[in-house]
Amino acid sequence: MNETLHEPNLALHVEDLTVSYHGKPVLWDIDFNVPPGVMAAIIGPNGAGKSTLIKSVLGLVPSVAGHITLHGLSYRRARRRVGYVPQRSSVDWDFPTTALDVVIMGLYGRLGWLKRPGRRERSEAMQALEMVGMQDFATRQISQLSGGQQQRVFLARALVQKADVYFLDEPMAGVDATTERAIVDILRRLRDEGKTVIVVHHDLQTVRSYFDWLVILNVRVIAQGPVEKIYTAEHLRRAYGGQIALLDDVPTITDDATSRAETEPLS
Amino acid sequence: MTLLSLLGDYTLQKVAIGAALLGLISGVLGSFAVLRKQSLLGDTLSHAALPGVCLGFIIAGGRELGSILTGALMTGTLAALTMLLLTRMSRLKTDAALGVALSVFFAVGVVLLTYIQGGNNASQGGLDSFLFGQAAATLTSDLWVMATITAIALALVTVLWKEFKLVSFDPEFAACSGLPVVLLEATMTVMIALAVVVGLQMVGVVLMAAMIIAPAVAARQWTKRLEHMVLLAAAFGIVGGMCGAVISAMGPGLATGPLIILSLSLIVVVSLLLAPGRGFAWELYKLRRDRRTLRTQQVLTTLYRLAQHHRDPAFRSDQGMVDAYHGTNTRSALQYLAGKGWVRFESPHAGDPATQPHWALTESGRHEAERILTDLEGASR
Repeated sequence: MNETLHEPNLALHVEDLTVSYHGKPVLWDIDFNVPPGVMAAIIGPNGAGKSTLIKSVLGLVPSVAGHITLHGLSYRRARRRVGYVPQRSSVDWDFPTTALDVVIMGLYGRLGWLKRPGRRERSEAMQALEMVGMQDFATRQISQLSGGQQQRVFLARALVQKADVYFLDEPMAGVDATTERAIVDILRRLRDEGKTVIVVHHDLQTVRSYFDWLVILNVRVIAQGPVEKIYTAEHLRRAYGGQIALLDDVPTITDDATSRAETEPLS
Repeated sequence: MTLLSLLGDYTLQKVAIGAALLGLISGVLGSFAVLRKQSLLGDTLSHAALPGVCLGFIIAGGRELGSILTGALMTGTLAALTMLLLTRMSRLKTDAALGVALSVFFAVGVVLLTYIQGGNNASQGGLDSFLFGQAAATLTSDLWVMATITAIALALVTVLWKEFKLVSFDPEFAACSGLPVVLLEATMTVMIALAVVVGLQMVGVVLMAAMIIAPAVAARQWTKRLEHMVLLAAAFGIVGGMCGAVISAMGPGLATGPLIILSLSLIVVVSLLLAPGRGFAWELYKLRRDRRTLRTQQVLTTLYRLAQHHRDPAFRSDQGMVDAYHGTNTRSALQYLAGKGWVRFESPHAGDPATQPHWALTESGRHEAERILTDLEGASR
């Protein structure tokens, strides 16, 4: 491997990324960086391209332009170091399989062709299920799990990948408060171990308490950086525009008097 | 002819073996197609095989199986590719794209068929048997072709088991894990096209879709694991195929293909009705049971609250009043509760103004009612 690493000190480095769908830009000239060891949120209004951003990083959506590196490596070469939790609704949960089986699927990539998962894979998957508190449901048919339990199984499938960078697409959507708490705890533990966690998030209320890094997106990157610097009314207003009702709480949580003055006439 | 002498019949043996092979391959591959929500893919592929059959006939200049099946495989694959292109390049959804590909290719096939039939070609006889299949025409050499294709398909499924499973369940995650998803999906599609080619002789292009879908749908009802589903679908396919073959041999001149499909449909109907956990009968039973539990719990807690209200644990509630409160006849619910020993029937005392029977809670009934109420509170918290 004599190829020089590009920006090896960044967990995720995205440069000039443009993605289009039927000729319309979904992501336009995106530049952003996530340092290692942070818990980052990607927020933005519906249709801002949050999921598309994650999917193009993972090579699931073709990009028109731009390049992406993870710890200095292209996705193809960094694949083993990446864990992914897709949106829960992206699969049919009536598929005939068990929770443990779904978690073992996280190891298929590492196993390679022709090899079958054996005892070692099973015990690794059981450990991951224990981490998310689902060990008692290992043999349960996945259609019989609640939404929150399904989300935990998906998280366990990513945990078993033992990655350095984790991507989660709306993991807190449609789960109850207990599960949300449990998921956040697990993600924090990952971050404390030095992993990077990148989450597409939809709930503005919890951004500041859950995350330490923030990317605000609306087709273009509106702002990025440490949460306390980036989570301002001005940035949110630029991202969400007229959907100002979402921002009712913003004046109370920012000390910036000018931004308060700006939002007041709108609310 | 008795059944025993039938089974010694050479033609029947050939047909039965062919039908069993067809059931085996379509059961296994159909399981993946159904789980990938591509049940209609089999339909499109089989209808699209017709122009290939005709082209194979025209090029070979006669009814030669090799070129006919090759043609069927090629136009079937072409239709699948058309479908994929339509969904990728336009806003059409998969179902619409499948429908478009199916009708266009089938229309071309019918045009070619009528062209051949209008050509006064002496050897064109029997070409339209590919529409509905003609199992009796199966030759021993055909069986070898079918067996080879089935063996290849089964070997591929065994070797690529975990990859097929992941691609069927979560293609995006499969792509992230580094699996060549497009290649795997294409392999599955081509294999279904192969199954269709195997079935052309037997059941024909029109009914082939049922061959792919039916065993898988029936098997899905009985199991919670993909491994078992695929094995069961294979078994259903084999049983359905052989049943169809035997029944058609017993009756005079009954078509084998449709009988195979009917046998499979019977298995599907039984599975949809009776399978534990997912069957219709099971759901109906569960619904009734849950409704009765709810009703009796409501009646029990009503009695409990009435007793509480009157500060009399042995309070006798008038059945007419309980009926009025619930807006329905609660007699059966009360009798069920009495059977459990939670309430006790008390005939009206002499001199009571009401003539309706009275019911009082027993000691265990009170405990049960308290348990239900605390459970409810726990759930709402």
